[in-house]
Amino acid sequence: MAKRSVLGLYSEEDSAADALDNLREAGFEEGDYEILTGVPYPEGTFGEAEPEHKLYRWPLIGAACGFTIALLITAGTELAYPLITGGKPILSIPAMAIIMYEGSMLGAIIFTIIGIIFESRLPRIFMGAYSEKITEGHIGVTVTTEETRTDIAETALNKAGTDGEIIRGWE
Amino acid sequence: MQEHTQLSHKQINEDLLKDVLTVPKWWLPAVSFLGLVVLTGLGAFFFMMYHGLGVTGLNRPVMWGVFIANFVFWIGISHAGIMISAILRLTQAEWRRPITRAAEVMTVFSLIAALHTPLMHVGRPWRVLYWIFPYDFSRGIWPNVRSPFVWDPSAVGTYLIASSLFVFVCLLPDIAILRDRAKKPIVKKIYAQMALGFRGTPRQWKLQILAGILLSALVLPVFVSVHSIVSWDFAVLIGVEGWHSTIFAPYFIIGAIHSGVSAVAMLMALSVWLYGLDKYIKPDHFDAIARLLIVVATTWFFFFFLEWVYALYTLAPPEIALRELQAFQWPYGPLFAIFIITSFVIPVPLWLFKRVRRSVVWMFWTTVLVNIGMWLERFLIVIPGLIRRTHMTFDWGTYHPSIVEILIVVETFAFVCLGMLLFAKVLPLIPLFDVKEGMVNRRLIKVGRRVIPATIREGLPHHYYEKKQ
Amino acid sequence: MVNNPGDRVLEPYVETDNSVETRKAVSDGLLGIHNITSNRFWQFAALFGIMFIFGIVGFVWKLSLGFDDKSTWGYYVAVFAFLMTTSSAAPMVAIAPRIANSHWRRPISRAAEIWTLAGCLNLILYIPLIWLLPSLENGRRSLWFYGQQEGVPAYSPHIWATLAIVGLVLLGLSLLWLSTLPDFAVLRDQGEGWKKKWGGKLALGWRGTSAQWNWQHHRMGVVGAFYFMMLVFVHFFISVEFLMVHVPGWIDSLYPITHAHNALQAGVATVMLTMFFLRQFGGYKDYIGLDQFWGLGKLLLALSLLWFWFWFSSFNVFWYGGKPSEQAVLELLVKGPYLYLFITIFILVFILPWFTMIWNPVRRSVWGPAILATSVLIGTLLDRIRLYVASWDVAGRSMAKELEMKMQDVPTKIQTPGYEDIFIMVGFIAGSILIFMLATRLIPAVNLWEQKEMLLYKAEIQFHRTKVTVMGKSR
Repeated sequence: MAKRSVLGLYSEEDSAADALDNLREAGFEEGDYEILTGVPYPEGTFGEAEPEHKLYRWPLIGAACGFTIALLITAGTELAYPLITGGKPILSIPAMAIIMYEGSMLGAIIFTIIGIIFESRLPRIFMGAYSEKITEGHIGVTVTTEETRTDIAETALNKAGTDGEIIRGWE
Repeated sequence: MQEHTQLSHKQINEDLLKDVLTVPKWWLPAVSFLGLVVLTGLGAFFFMMYHGLGVTGLNRPVMWGVFIANFVFWIGISHAGIMISAILRLTQAEWRRPITRAAEVMTVFSLIAALHTPLMHVGRPWRVLYWIFPYDFSRGIWPNVRSPFVWDPSAVGTYLIASSLFVFVCLLPDIAILRDRAKKPIVKKIYAQMALGFRGTPRQWKLQILAGILLSALVLPVFVSVHSIVSWDFAVLIGVEGWHSTIFAPYFIIGAIHSGVSAVAMLMALSVWLYGLDKYIKPDHFDAIARLLIVVATTWFFFFFLEWVYALYTLAPPEIALRELQAFQWPYGPLFAIFIITSFVIPVPLWLFKRVRRSVVWMFWTTVLVNIGMWLERFLIVIPGLIRRTHMTFDWGTYHPSIVEILIVVETFAFVCLGMLLFAKVLPLIPLFDVKEGMVNRRLIKVGRRVIPATIREGLPHHYYEKKQ
Repeated sequence: MVNNPGDRVLEPYVETDNSVETRKAVSDGLLGIHNITSNRFWQFAALFGIMFIFGIVGFVWKLSLGFDDKSTWGYYVAVFAFLMTTSSAAPMVAIAPRIANSHWRRPISRAAEIWTLAGCLNLILYIPLIWLLPSLENGRRSLWFYGQQEGVPAYSPHIWATLAIVGLVLLGLSLLWLSTLPDFAVLRDQGEGWKKKWGGKLALGWRGTSAQWNWQHHRMGVVGAFYFMMLVFVHFFISVEFLMVHVPGWIDSLYPITHAHNALQAGVATVMLTMFFLRQFGGYKDYIGLDQFWGLGKLLLALSLLWFWFWFSSFNVFWYGGKPSEQAVLELLVKGPYLYLFITIFILVFILPWFTMIWNPVRRSVWGPAILATSVLIGTLLDRIRLYVASWDVAGRSMAKELEMKMQDVPTKIQTPGYEDIFIMVGFIAGSILIFMLATRLIPAVNLWEQKEMLLYKAEIQFHRTKVTVMGKSR
């Protein structure tokens, strides 16, 4: 069955936190609802669970890939064209180390960016229920659930005192 | 920050997006003028490409002239952006908030300006591919990994890609704001695509903050390596007097920070004047950046002093003769005097005065002086050594930059300014979410009759303190 | 309820717990720990005292052997340089974060400053070096370009190096005294016995007026800034006059900075290890927390990465050009007899800190940074031995008077230490630790007034559904 999303907008942080409590009481799980804010708040401000992520794996994998590719390029090109320049050995470690270092860092950074976008669950094709007022200071609480439970969600959101607006959308 | 204007999210959106969503009156004439200068420079480049490098002042033994000095200068300017952004993020300095994005964007455009200068300098830019790109284009010849000219593109390329991606990732929340605020449907759609669906969930915000910290930590080593590698273009050579010095790597980096941070201060002043952002960029910000500049300038001066002392320490006659040429002989003597006066003697004593540090006008003009001096510094490193490069006096030469070189150098300055203006038209130069976060986290502590500004600090997560050690 | 949250402008006030009772509790708590001297403390002090006596024996023995054979003085100069590197740079951990207004430095700044007292011991080690250092008349390179300039005294390096080192020690003592003034006043008012007496003498009538606090803050800033500049100059003189000039052809313009950087790294490691012992064995568990290890851990990681950068900048420029004199210098210091020592140093000072400290769980612990600090300190001592022993080995040879060294002149073996060298190394390092320990009997190891000052600026508040820390900055 297709999922629908329901969004409640609040002007106070405590109201949004109350909305999360109401949703938990109504039987919704942690992954069913989300807070939407226009500015980062300290973790746990709304009583939400700490988001778990594995971002730290990405720079390591990227660095390993970058290091390997740079090693292959430097060693490979040096052995492919073994011309001694300046009396230095064919496989000159200081020179190779510089390019391998840059390769590792480039790999780490590119993979970190990919990791950030991936862990942020982006790109997101459909916005679902969303309001432009969020970037103007409102706090949104959005619930994604089956169509049959959207009324329960709406009741829970309204109980915390929304700004009088409930937005519905497709997930 | 002792001075502060607490603003609402709506006000911040209006102030910082008005020049993105509408066109300021001065914008079009400025862009047209800069575009003209860029086109003139490009015209000069095509003229040079057609007629050959003979139209420049370059000749044996001065094979490197103002193009290379300009290249090093722009690499230097590019360093400040990431330094300001990364180091101030890692040290959680609150005063960085309005400045970071402008500095990062300046890095990107400075790097592009730096990259296209040597490409123009080689005369036939497409041939650069043959000796940089790891591919056997002809006769089994591969790039020479042992050459600093192959280290350079790897470093500058890495830095450019890293800085660009850093800017993009940190822009996502602000693109989301633009998506929500834009009125025209086509503009809204473009911003919506660029925002990748960013909605502001706790997960996305946490990763934004982590992105700032992790990328800062990753980009800082790259920042250190880039200018070190550029300096090794000179330092590893034993044939040119005045170049073979181990101090070049940190000397160039501290010089880059000096000129770059000065450029950021200039940018701040221009933002206040052109975009009316005096509610966001306060005298306190100028004060903070001026104090940083005093430390950086003094450190730079110490490195410069060390470089000279060690040149004389060698007791080598050619080295000492070069220093006499640099400091006392026409035309380099007067240029040397101007360089010292403008990069240290005038600005630093002025910055010791609080009134000067807090004045937008004084900070703008002193930092302009610094950048004039630092451009001359690069000129004085590159050219005098080459003039006396060989030991055969019949090979000694002189160097006079031609109009073609001057036009191309001026084009790089216009390019960076144009790039910044075009960027500022499409995306905000001051990070909105960062400034809003500063407002949300700001608190006040009453100590007796005095009110102290305070901020919510994200230290270690609380469970770390509860864990027994 | 606000109708339109976009128009909200918030700047709530926060209450800090700065009552008289809380301040007294902090003061009494720290004084209580300060007044306890356990038996274990005296046992270790006695052990270090015995080792120090051996050090003095070694010192006298060394002097009796004379100054003629310079090649046997390498280990002596290495110990001097090591103590200068560690104890003189440790106060930077107090100075730099204080200028940056970082609150995490508060519990550890005093411990960093106390290390400056070991500089007095180092002055004793320095005195024979004035006789050891050759004058400029032998025609060697020097910073004073003797031979290029008329009227330069032949003993210029001796005069300037002495002035710089004495100046550094005096500045360090001034900084320590300025920082401890308010705590001496606490000892005068609430201490007992000899601490009360000496606290009173050293407090010099401190009453805590606004003028006195402003004066103290201002002077600490100025003395701190001068201390840093003097530290750089001292390392400049030591690294040039006592190290580089003795190796013909070692023209490394970066090296003074490298030497100063190594000092900062070793200074941070020294403070890291000190705060580990203060926390685990000194009773300061409630004051020296994870924040301090985390802050210093990040600094140690950055400085360890920079170690590699400084080393590689010099190495790459020397290696690339292929100049015979520079290849000979690399052979002496890196690739030749000291190769295995160099590899060990490389691992201890760079590889180990890098591969461990990049992990947050290691940085955010107590044992992790402490172990890495030990690794860095051992590596720094070995590095000083590598450089100074090699340099003075060359100084004792006939080709030292040349301007460039040839590959065939490079010594093929490491100069081994004599028994007197071992006594000096062990004894004077133990002596520095002993001085620190004895100093903490009078000077509180954790700054009382800075801890009380933090009460003004720090609060833990409830922020909707979570707890956060709020930190203020006064200046």
